[in-house]
Amino acid sequence: MNKWKKNQPATIKPFKRPTLAGDGFGGRAGFFLSRAVTNIRQNVFVNVVTIGTITLALLIVSLFLLIFVNLESAAENWSERVQVTVYFDKELSSQDQSAFRDKITALSGVSRVSYVTREEALKRFKSRLRGQETLLEGVRPEILPTSFEIALKRTHRDTISVESFVTTLKRIPGITEVQYGEEWVRRFNSFLNFIRLLGALLGGFLVIAVIFIVSNTIKLTIYSRRDELEVMSLVGATRFFIKAPFLLEGLIQGMTGSVFSVILLFGLYEGFLHNAGSFLTFNPVTSGLSFLPLEYIAGLLLAGAMLGFIGSLTSLKRFINV
Amino acid sequence: MIQLHNVSLAYQQDASALNNIDLKIGKGEFVFLTGPSGAGKTTLLRLLYGALTPNRGQVLIDGQNITRMSASQIPLLRRTVGVVFQDFKLLQNRTVFENVAITLEVLGWGRADIGKKTMHILKQMGIESKYNLITQRLSGGEQQRVALARALVNDPKILLADEPTGNLDDANKNQILNIFKEANIRGTTVVVATHDRRLIEQSHKRLVTLIKGEIVEQVEKESASDDQTL
Repeated sequence: MNKWKKNQPATIKPFKRPTLAGDGFGGRAGFFLSRAVTNIRQNVFVNVVTIGTITLALLIVSLFLLIFVNLESAAENWSERVQVTVYFDKELSSQDQSAFRDKITALSGVSRVSYVTREEALKRFKSRLRGQETLLEGVRPEILPTSFEIALKRTHRDTISVESFVTTLKRIPGITEVQYGEEWVRRFNSFLNFIRLLGALLGGFLVIAVIFIVSNTIKLTIYSRRDELEVMSLVGATRFFIKAPFLLEGLIQGMTGSVFSVILLFGLYEGFLHNAGSFLTFNPVTSGLSFLPLEYIAGLLLAGAMLGFIGSLTSLKRFINV
Repeated sequence: MIQLHNVSLAYQQDASALNNIDLKIGKGEFVFLTGPSGAGKTTLLRLLYGALTPNRGQVLIDGQNITRMSASQIPLLRRTVGVVFQDFKLLQNRTVFENVAITLEVLGWGRADIGKKTMHILKQMGIESKYNLITQRLSGGEQQRVALARALVNDPKILLADEPTGNLDDANKNQILNIFKEANIRGTTVVVATHDRRLIEQSHKRLVTLIKGEIVEQVEKESASDDQTL
């Protein structure tokens, strides 16, 4: 026996190679998930930084979304005022009334048609001049016109639709005088378009900035573990085997970050709702503010997950060439 | 087991690292690669585990031409080749156990089997009591043995080692050499790059000398009886 062999303990027996465990998709997925969780536990600081960055980045985006959604819904409410009125000199007979009503309702884009009699018109006039009723002394209902008030559907409230609606309305025989506040409709719609353009631009910049920040943070976390990537590659790990835990880790980071950002946003929203009344001229609780709709929240969560996943994927490409 | 035909490799256009290398290493052989620094020892080893591809010539490992392997086949090659790096390449913030177990995890072994096999090899290396220590806290000799354990834990067909005794004292050197020899006896082909003359003289194995990227001398193994005198 060789001299050097004497140093070895006698109890060691040759080891039999076992059958592979964790085979199949389920076993593999479980293994990668447990690796990802172990990685997160072993690199708590780096992960806290990454999740924090994703949380803040998504919070900025979601705050912007919240403001935008509320502005849009306010604009929708204002657009209720877009209304077309048809005036008649004389009181219409009930036959004429229903004939006109049918013809107008048949046009596309009409949501509601209501007939205003002379008495109704006078009543409204009076209520508008409340406190100064003396001005209306001697005014008789006969001098006021009767009218049809036509409310339009949401999709038909922009300038072009309103104008083309008025043109077709005027083609109905017997209708001559139509008013719809052209100037107001035009201004309102250009304001709305401006807000949307601004939103798209700002939102676009924000999203690009967020992608940039998050992907760089993830790149740093992966850079800090490039040794591990190298060693795994050198002991014969396939690219997929190296990548999978990192991708899962990115997914978990992104999802956690987005959940935190939604929770924070909700906290901010509630805080604003209940405290802003003291320094604002309106009461936010009754002003019709609303939180993000459910599909937006789902979108944010998905965006967070994708951000983490794609951030990891692109960063890994740089380091796995071995 | 290992065949190099006419292999040339240059990192830069006019400075060749290896030049017309022809080398055959049989199954179960033990070979020392030696030569001065910059002779191409490390480059030659890197060719053998697919970290480099030559500019010219063929590299055959176990009958497979690795110069023609696709990127997805390289990992499969590396699973049959254990490598001990000059700088060990251990994960500094991981335990000894984790550093060794990674080889088996990559192969998809189950947790219980990984535990048994890893402790088994750590016992062979004489460092089983340190399995739960962070590798940073180990001495150079101990780190070397962890690196060896990682390379040998899946019983590779080939073991490559780059300056494995670089910073070790004589006692440690002998232990490392013994581990190589034991692996060799179990059937592993061993290639050790070193310029440690004493190590080579002690072990009486085949010796290939490289200078400036060319093989200048090959000394065949001395008689087997010499082994016994170690």
